[in-house]
Amino acid sequence: MNSPHILTRRSFLSRSSALGLGTALATITDIPFVMKRALADGSLGKPGPNGRTKKLLFLFLRGANDGLNALIPYGDPAYNSTNRPTLYIPTDADASWQTSGPAFFPTSGPDTGTFLRPDGSPLGGLPLGNGFAGLHPALKFLAPVYNVGDLALLHRVGYPQQSRSHFDSQNYWETGSPRDSLVRDGLLYRAMMESGLTTTNALTGVSIQSSLPLILRGSKAAMTNLSDTGRYNLLGVPNTAAGNTKADAFLQAATRSPAPDRMSRDFLNLQYQNLNQTLAIFASINFNQEFTDNEATDGDLPYNLFPTSNATNGSYAARGNNPAKYVVPTSSYDFFNSLRSAALILNKTDALVAGTQIDGWDTHSNQGGASGSHANLLRRVGWALYGLRKYFLQNPDKCSWDDLIVVTLSEFGRTSIENDDNGTDHAEASVMFVAGGGVKGFNAANSRKAVFACNPSDTVPWQTGQTGAMFQTEGRYLRRALDYRSVLGKVIRDHLGASQDQLNRIIPGYSNPSEALRAGGTQSSDGVRIMGEPDILG
Amino acid sequence: MISSAFKHTRSVWSVVFLLLAGSALLAAADTTPDITSFRILAGKPVLDFSPVPSVRSYDIETTPDLSQPFSRGSGVLDTFRWTGSNPSSASSGFYRVRTTPLSAAEITAANLLNRIAYGPTPDDLEAVQRIGVDAWVQSQIAAESIAEDLDTLPPFNPGWRKVTASGTGSASTLYVYLDGPGDVYVDNLRLVAGAVDNPALPNLLRNGDFESTLGAEWGLATNVNTSARSVAFVQNGNTSLHLVVTDPGSTRTSSLYQDISPALSTTQTYTLTYWYRTSDTNVNLVVRLSGRGIDTTEPMDGLKTSPATVAATLNDNGTVTRLRSWHLMKAIASKRQLNEILRQFCENHFVTQYSKSDDYFANIGYSAGTSIQPATQIEFDENRRWQAALLNPSVTFLDLLTISAESPAMIIYLDTVGSRGNLLNGVYRIANENYARELCELFCFGVDNGYDQGDIVQISRVWTGWTTELRAPADQGNPFAPRSTVYKDPSVITNKTVVTNLVGNWTLRYSPTRHDPRPKHVFYQKDAAGNPITTQPKTVPARFGPPWAGRPYNLSFAASSYGTNTFQEGYKLLQHMANQPFTQEFITVKLCRLFIHDEFHTGYDFTDKVSSPEESLVKAVMLAWENPPGGGPKGQIRPILQVLLNSDLFRSTLSSQQKVRTPIEFGVAAVRALRTARADGSFTADSDGLGIQTLLTRAGRMRLFDRAEPDGYPETASPWISAGTLAERLRFVQSLTLKTTGTDGRPAGELDNNTFADPVALLRERKPAALSDAGVAADYLLNRLFPAEGAANLAAYRTLAIQFLNTADNGVTPSAYSSLTVGSATHDNRIRGLVAFLMTTPRFQEQ
Repeated sequence: MNSPHILTRRSFLSRSSALGLGTALATITDIPFVMKRALADGSLGKPGPNGRTKKLLFLFLRGANDGLNALIPYGDPAYNSTNRPTLYIPTDADASWQTSGPAFFPTSGPDTGTFLRPDGSPLGGLPLGNGFAGLHPALKFLAPVYNVGDLALLHRVGYPQQSRSHFDSQNYWETGSPRDSLVRDGLLYRAMMESGLTTTNALTGVSIQSSLPLILRGSKAAMTNLSDTGRYNLLGVPNTAAGNTKADAFLQAATRSPAPDRMSRDFLNLQYQNLNQTLAIFASINFNQEFTDNEATDGDLPYNLFPTSNATNGSYAARGNNPAKYVVPTSSYDFFNSLRSAALILNKTDALVAGTQIDGWDTHSNQGGASGSHANLLRRVGWALYGLRKYFLQNPDKCSWDDLIVVTLSEFGRTSIENDDNGTDHAEASVMFVAGGGVKGFNAANSRKAVFACNPSDTVPWQTGQTGAMFQTEGRYLRRALDYRSVLGKVIRDHLGASQDQLNRIIPGYSNPSEALRAGGTQSSDGVRIMGEPDILG
Repeated sequence: MISSAFKHTRSVWSVVFLLLAGSALLAAADTTPDITSFRILAGKPVLDFSPVPSVRSYDIETTPDLSQPFSRGSGVLDTFRWTGSNPSSASSGFYRVRTTPLSAAEITAANLLNRIAYGPTPDDLEAVQRIGVDAWVQSQIAAESIAEDLDTLPPFNPGWRKVTASGTGSASTLYVYLDGPGDVYVDNLRLVAGAVDNPALPNLLRNGDFESTLGAEWGLATNVNTSARSVAFVQNGNTSLHLVVTDPGSTRTSSLYQDISPALSTTQTYTLTYWYRTSDTNVNLVVRLSGRGIDTTEPMDGLKTSPATVAATLNDNGTVTRLRSWHLMKAIASKRQLNEILRQFCENHFVTQYSKSDDYFANIGYSAGTSIQPATQIEFDENRRWQAALLNPSVTFLDLLTISAESPAMIIYLDTVGSRGNLLNGVYRIANENYARELCELFCFGVDNGYDQGDIVQISRVWTGWTTELRAPADQGNPFAPRSTVYKDPSVITNKTVVTNLVGNWTLRYSPTRHDPRPKHVFYQKDAAGNPITTQPKTVPARFGPPWAGRPYNLSFAASSYGTNTFQEGYKLLQHMANQPFTQEFITVKLCRLFIHDEFHTGYDFTDKVSSPEESLVKAVMLAWENPPGGGPKGQIRPILQVLLNSDLFRSTLSSQQKVRTPIEFGVAAVRALRTARADGSFTADSDGLGIQTLLTRAGRMRLFDRAEPDGYPETASPWISAGTLAERLRFVQSLTLKTTGTDGRPAGELDNNTFADPVALLRERKPAALSDAGVAADYLLNRLFPAEGAANLAAYRTLAIQFLNTADNGVTPSAYSSLTVGSATHDNRIRGLVAFLMTTPRFQEQ
């Protein structure tokens, strides 16, 4: 309970604003001085030379992605059909994982299924050309993104003293403070606060899902969640234009009126105000617009970049009813609808961060190999990154592909050995994907690879075999070589433009040398050596 | 109740805080307003102060000299600003704010209805005030003492019912049909000119009394073409119409119809009357003019949709939608509100996922569409078991936990159903850890509270063999009984093994041959390899203090040969875990967050010499758990509730309106807020549950019985409230209060007629003076919608409410409420608009 003698934000507001209907709405957005810390350093939220601001799109893969069956360590003999009887995916017969060069990208052409080989059999794993790692075939559309140098693939990502609880671990990823359950605001929320834009912009951080995720939550400013773009307006009684105006006016007046402190009133008022400010902004965007690829990447007709119906899912409509040709699972239309909304919001508004999530990665049973439930989830990720790249390349407005970084998050990886239910259980390190025009990716000319922490030649080597990396934690789990905070920290500082001081506040671990987040080293809390920030930008 | 005072000196305004003895009514609550500014404006003193919760009135008192008594200052109070009426320059003085708080009983009544009920109804508010908060609490705790028939089907007596409706002659064709397959008897169908059924006027319909064979005057579309005259049931004369409908009707091509000749006038009013005989089916009879100038839709069943009618369908033809309706209708209407809150707590704490069960059944012999029935059934069964258990005066947490553990819904949800630990090819199979982990982390101990990964591995082996089976009714309680051999259709031999041809329910099955027979050692220290050291039991950490600290809480099971006795391991484990201090702490904190406020957490150091009220309450509840004052087993729910609901924290402003409603709490509370019983047994607000389900999905995907994550839906505000979900909540309230457009029966908002509120009817029933007096209307509604806030804190809302009532729909033109015609559409909309406005404010999100 607030002490009556401490000037709370609410009482500050009620004292600083005149009472009654005439108060300017801006008054209650005002943040107390303590929040207006020096915001001048860094370029977070500031337009660059091209007049555009750097932005971030995040995808949270909730439930824990099995990284070992996504970015597959083919060079490790422990990835085999003994450890993973039903999950194991052999490399594709048309490619060799030892070949050095670009990632292998099998195009389907018009007559076979998108994820089938020409003879109708399923694709195998797709070598990435670093002699060690391959992509799950359901991620085949990542290959063209990788080959143009716009994708970094990071394996063995985790954090010290990993929790194997979904909820705790998701919370730690989102708050940026592992093993500290008292931190209640989100990492990207803090980044938005540091931008200084939350007091002037109605939109800074946006999520498109059923409710606002922790990564964007905080008590001093409202981030925005949009659950259904088609229903974002209010009604009146009577439900006429004038009736709506009357209802809005009275509601706003009531929201401005002072009231005694209650635990959630400041929070509620901020959210109400955010609703009020964003109604017109979102009404100006056509969220249903269709976007089609400008080339036939898959050797077929150009595909829709955000499939939201059978008719727009691959070449189905053009070629008749052939379900095998679907590019994304038919159950993923809501996700692609949300993804398109996130892309449109970054491109058409001043929002700096937008994101959504893909549920269902908790594959304890019947996970599947080249096809099945895990493969269907990966198909979403593969086409999402492919489609985002093409959308922003073809339609740059307030955001171009060069201004954007896309990151995937997932709370932990899964057991190296398959369980008795043809699935995998909670484990430790997993993978992250980072895409964008500014990613320092694959380069054929200088033989640069863009696969990180998935090679025996890494500074923290991937040791192979039955006692190697896949079993280094408690003899059961893949041990981390990267900390997710190093990846997000690199992106927030070197892409979004935060100063190191700002980053130290956004990700507090950066100010603690024993966390080794920037340069790498041994993390003191559990003695595991990590590689520090991966060289993924610039 | 006394505030600080300000001193006004001749030339300088200086601030003097005086600590006047504040006789706080409520021990821990803040009842002292701060004076935040004091100025002279236009020669008059102007004083601003910060409000405090639950205040009936603020008064400014003044004295020229502290040696003299304060007296009430003369001035005008505008919400939280006071402007003195006397010029200030004449004298210096001291000022203070005196508050008149709501009584403890008023605050507690509001808290009770917001926490142990799904929000106040006008009727419940008055009931609590009438019988007193203590008596009301005791009756809610002893729920079995409250008569309730929501789950009992009322007897059904078919009979003739008369319908009368007037409207314009929109077109000259009359349609008669049902909105689903079924049959009905109709008699004496009359259409006459004028606004009343004048028996002297001729029937404009030919053969409307159905005394002649159906001829060319009546057209019969294909879906009604077996309809005919009947002597089976007759309201008047010798015969009636027996309308038999095979497919839902809607228009000329799907109804029994008559082209009226001569044609009706589109500008004239006509009156339709007819009789129909009710039956216990779920279709509606529609009789209407083309163009819907006159439009009647009458329920066939004579039984209104109720929890009982819905529950009756859940046993053999269940859908999760109906199950949710049953749950929501009980939340709205039950007199045993605390029981409903606790059942939802159980359902959400011991979370299971309907769609995972559906998927499971679809893969073991149910075809698509038929698997929804068993998936619904097992959710319904566990909820009925909790409901019954909570009516037992000595119900314990172990009872509730056991119901969950035995439920096929849980066994399927957390993968115990396929978990095996038996020896296979010389190796023990690896048990699935999912249920073991959540039993520790989410159902009993709380995360990282007294267990480790090694304990989870050991516990996972205990549950091997717990699976599920389809049992005949006689075998439901026998976990070793074989599959049902009672057939729905015994004649179909080939269907004998098909699950959909078997009579019975899915219940717990124990399969000894799947069980891991090795010894199990739970809650021991671990060696470097993570194996338990059986000489070193874990002990309760020191922070728990007496009587718990230092107790060993290990549990071992000896090696067992395969056999049914290994079934007992699961029950022994539940008995062991249910009353450990970790469980006591974790469940207590969850209950405190549910009933009081969100700022409780686990991990208190209970040995602290000085502890917060929150920590003290957690400990007091844990002690009542450990040693129930009335004796008997540990973990009894009712002594726990007594401590919680009698605590100062609960009975003060420290809990009132300190929480934000979850989607289910918001949707149900919105209906309840406007719900009062009419003399005829109907209500001024109600829902069949469907409209609220839509809200729950849209406002954050609170899909009851179907949460994917095992931590249950959150209690705190931040996961639920953001711009998008607020928009949905506001639209729901606005749609709820919008009047249906009348003639065509469709709502103007987005809810159908089965989820509605009629605030005009509420005022008519409870406060008729409010129908023509804006101040009375504002006071009545504010008091009922925000009962814990206090009139003085609602002054700004009151001003706005009166302004709303006195402003035309265009939001600009003054339009005196008192001069509106009661019953007119304008008057109706003014009240509905006001209620929508008040219920869309931030305060209505709180509870």
